[in-house]
Amino acid sequence: MKGTYLGELEELVLLTVGILYPDAYGVAVMDELKQQASRDLNISAVHAVLTRLEEKGLLKSSMSDPTEERGGRRKRIFIITAAGKRALEEAQELRTQMYRQIPKVALQPIVVGY
Amino acid sequence: MPPRWANRLLEWYCRPELLEEIQGDAHELYYREAKTSKRKADWKFIWNVIRFFRWRNIRKRQYQYVNYSIDMIQNIFKVAFRNFLRHPGHSFLNVIGLGVSFVVALLVGWWALHENSFDRFHENPEQIFEIKSHVNANGTIETYGAARFNINLAALPEVKSKTVLISGTRWPNELCFRPDGKSNECIYLFGIYAEQPFFSIFNFPIVSGNQNPLAEPTHIAISQKMANKLYGDENPIGKIIKIDDHYPVTIASVFKDVPSNSSLQFEFVLPWEVFAKMRGMQPEQFHNQFFPVYFRTSADATVEDLTAKLNSPSILTEDLKKDNVSYSAFALTDARLHGEFKNGKNTSGRIIYVQLFLLVAMLVVAMAVINFVNLTTARASNRAKEIGIRKVTGAQRGSIIFQFMGESFFVVFAAIILAVVTGYLLLPLFNQLVGDTILVTWKKPAVIGYIVLGMLIVAFLAGLYPALVMSRFQAAHVLKGNVVTRSAGAQHLRKILLVVQISFSVGIVIFTGVLFKQLDYIQHKNLGLNKDHIVHIEPTYKLLQKYNTLKAELLKNPQIKSVTATAADPTSINSTTTGVRWPGMTEGMNAPFNVLGATHEVADVFGLNLVDGRFFGENSLDSIHSEVVVSESAVKLMNLDNPLGTLIKIGDVECNIIGVIKDFHSASLKQAQLPIIVYRHPTLQCSRLYVRYEGETTTAISIINDAYKKAEPAFTMKYGFVDDAFAKMYKTETAASKMLMLFTAIAVIIALVGVIGLATYNVIKRKKEIGIKRVFGASSVQLLGLVSKDFVLLILLASAVGMPVAWYSASEWLSGYAYRIDMPWEIFALGFFAILSVTLCLISLQALKTIRTNPTEVLRSE
Repeated sequence: MKGTYLGELEELVLLTVGILYPDAYGVAVMDELKQQASRDLNISAVHAVLTRLEEKGLLKSSMSDPTEERGGRRKRIFIITAAGKRALEEAQELRTQMYRQIPKVALQPIVVGY
Repeated sequence: MPPRWANRLLEWYCRPELLEEIQGDAHELYYREAKTSKRKADWKFIWNVIRFFRWRNIRKRQYQYVNYSIDMIQNIFKVAFRNFLRHPGHSFLNVIGLGVSFVVALLVGWWALHENSFDRFHENPEQIFEIKSHVNANGTIETYGAARFNINLAALPEVKSKTVLISGTRWPNELCFRPDGKSNECIYLFGIYAEQPFFSIFNFPIVSGNQNPLAEPTHIAISQKMANKLYGDENPIGKIIKIDDHYPVTIASVFKDVPSNSSLQFEFVLPWEVFAKMRGMQPEQFHNQFFPVYFRTSADATVEDLTAKLNSPSILTEDLKKDNVSYSAFALTDARLHGEFKNGKNTSGRIIYVQLFLLVAMLVVAMAVINFVNLTTARASNRAKEIGIRKVTGAQRGSIIFQFMGESFFVVFAAIILAVVTGYLLLPLFNQLVGDTILVTWKKPAVIGYIVLGMLIVAFLAGLYPALVMSRFQAAHVLKGNVVTRSAGAQHLRKILLVVQISFSVGIVIFTGVLFKQLDYIQHKNLGLNKDHIVHIEPTYKLLQKYNTLKAELLKNPQIKSVTATAADPTSINSTTTGVRWPGMTEGMNAPFNVLGATHEVADVFGLNLVDGRFFGENSLDSIHSEVVVSESAVKLMNLDNPLGTLIKIGDVECNIIGVIKDFHSASLKQAQLPIIVYRHPTLQCSRLYVRYEGETTTAISIINDAYKKAEPAFTMKYGFVDDAFAKMYKTETAASKMLMLFTAIAVIIALVGVIGLATYNVIKRKKEIGIKRVFGASSVQLLGLVSKDFVLLILLASAVGMPVAWYSASEWLSGYAYRIDMPWEIFALGFFAILSVTLCLISLQALKTIRTNPTEVLRSE
């Protein structure tokens, strides 16, 4: 397993794969990312992230049954592994934990006036 | 459907195990997009295909286990060597063909490196500049390599030092030196006059004596060669030489011989004060005169920048500006290859010949490589069984490729060795041809580097195609004895290569033809004056004093026809003047004239044609004005209705026009003819003697020499011929034409070898067809037509490519001449028919052999 550090884009893709379960494949992930996060990614970039996540062991994949719409070509369907789920939780936790440590004052809007 | 090529590209580069999902996604996106716009979808698909091209997705070459064991390599070498010996003719053609082309490439490469190395041996050569002055005369700008002697370069902080450099080919640059102890013999040597910083600006190392010889006006610095000529092994330092038998100078230093790649060539350097003395002038009198000026900057500077500064008012004085003079800086390193100026602009120079020959050499090598490829693939079937056996016993494609590439390296290496040895041996001959001493330094890594690099590239290109073709043979097919089926692609390639060869041959033959025709035109053009049978003698002062006695002595002999003295060479009057004024002249008109000072016999010696009036008599008939004769174009320019008796002014001298002569060429045919004024010049101020003779040259020379010795016993006669001097003006062109002639011959021979190769191959392939046609009663002529039809088409196609290129480059070259031939169409026709007939001849010879054999023999086999 390559380092446990999760990049921002990797985290987003991982989340998207989870959302789309059990139909997460390249184009679907790309579309979902655009819709939900307004991220305009090239399909090749999505592929790159997906393979990277698979190499890290956070995703696993299998080929789907052939369908008519892609000229009989199969899709590679991704699903989150246990390690992937843990990585997401850790990232989530880390954020909330750190967010809580910000002093209240710093988040209050500063009023400038008399 | 998405663009086919992009889809194919994807399939080609993509890893097979990833292809399905990647292609699937790409296609899904395409069809979705295509619903709205097909074009946009196409572009997007292409973009995606490009974007998918990532390291992770690329198909990696499958690792082939090729066992290059020592035994295997030994075997490959052994087989290569045996094959080499088994077909000696074929191997010989290959090695010789490549070798000859390499010799061409090597010689041209050496020559180009030599030309390129000119003036770069100085320290920081790019910091040395020459000053050019441009004179706008009536709209056309003439450029001279000179500036005012006292040009105020001190006003430019970046100029470190400057020197005037007086060079030339005649007195006072060519002087008579007396070998030790002999007072009536001369060794003529060339030298220059310069100011003190000369040796610090240029890098001519002083090997012994004073390091700063020009500081004293009574010093001379001489070359090692000159020291050796005059004093042998004796130490020359401190010896006294009398310049012109008059001005004693001390040899202060000896400098290393000037290398042949220097554009300044000289054997001695004298302080310019000596020059002033020899001219009988005070140094101050020089200050306004124009001389070649060189300077060195303390840091790198651009020509544009320096030129701008040279034209600032502190340097380009008001009076010069009034005379339409402007200065420009010119880098010394450009002097050799970029030294041509046209209308004030630096155009080109020798560089076009360097480029031309590099191109020719490259094409010659390319042609030889094409031959190699054709010869090798044409004989592929000979090796088919061997390849089959190798494959059956486990050879993979890679090792077969390796084998044939190796063989190509083997042949190319042999050819290179052959070429380097031959090239080195031929170098002296080649030097003669180009009229230069090419310096070949093996120490320079560049030379070895170019050779090795060239060898690798050529071997790779030559070996690649045959290796790919042969390694593709299927063992099962070839071992069963099936004739190797050749793809249509290979046939086409072969034909294309032949078209390339022939079109190049046609092009270079025609270009060379045009070049020769122009040079022939120059040699035989009626110049308007006679240049044959005229000897030119360098006069000494004493000889000019005794001019009349010398002339009388010479004319005693019937072989000598006439004698004259002039101030310039009538076939190349190098001085133009704009200082001519005539009645009715438009103010501010700055018309350039060529003026020639001469004694009255000049018309007789050079055969000038009088149209109107009279020529000079022995004595002037006009006691007030100076008599002049003008050319027809001068009359036209001055717009004189009745030129005879018209008074014109040249500078401050009032002149009377007494005659009109036909125009003649007083400069190179590259330049347009200028109007000419010939004026009567006192003998003593002349600098050239000309003698016209008849009959045998050697006897004429000995007659002239005898008369010379009688008048000037202390000197050795220095002479030349006017037609030689004229031919020298076209030295570059002549040398280039000789080189081109040689290379043309080589190129054509190589192309013909290619033709023979392909013809043989074709005839062998159609042996059975020919046999069957003969059985059915076809005549030899019909069969010849059958085999040559293809070639005629190829030659037509090649001519259609080669001729326009030849036409274009020839007319570009011709445009450098103000007087030139019309594009000679007969040369195009001649070149075409020559190539066509020679090719058809060779093909017929090859084909006849097959046609003559009894068809039963051909058809019986199998």
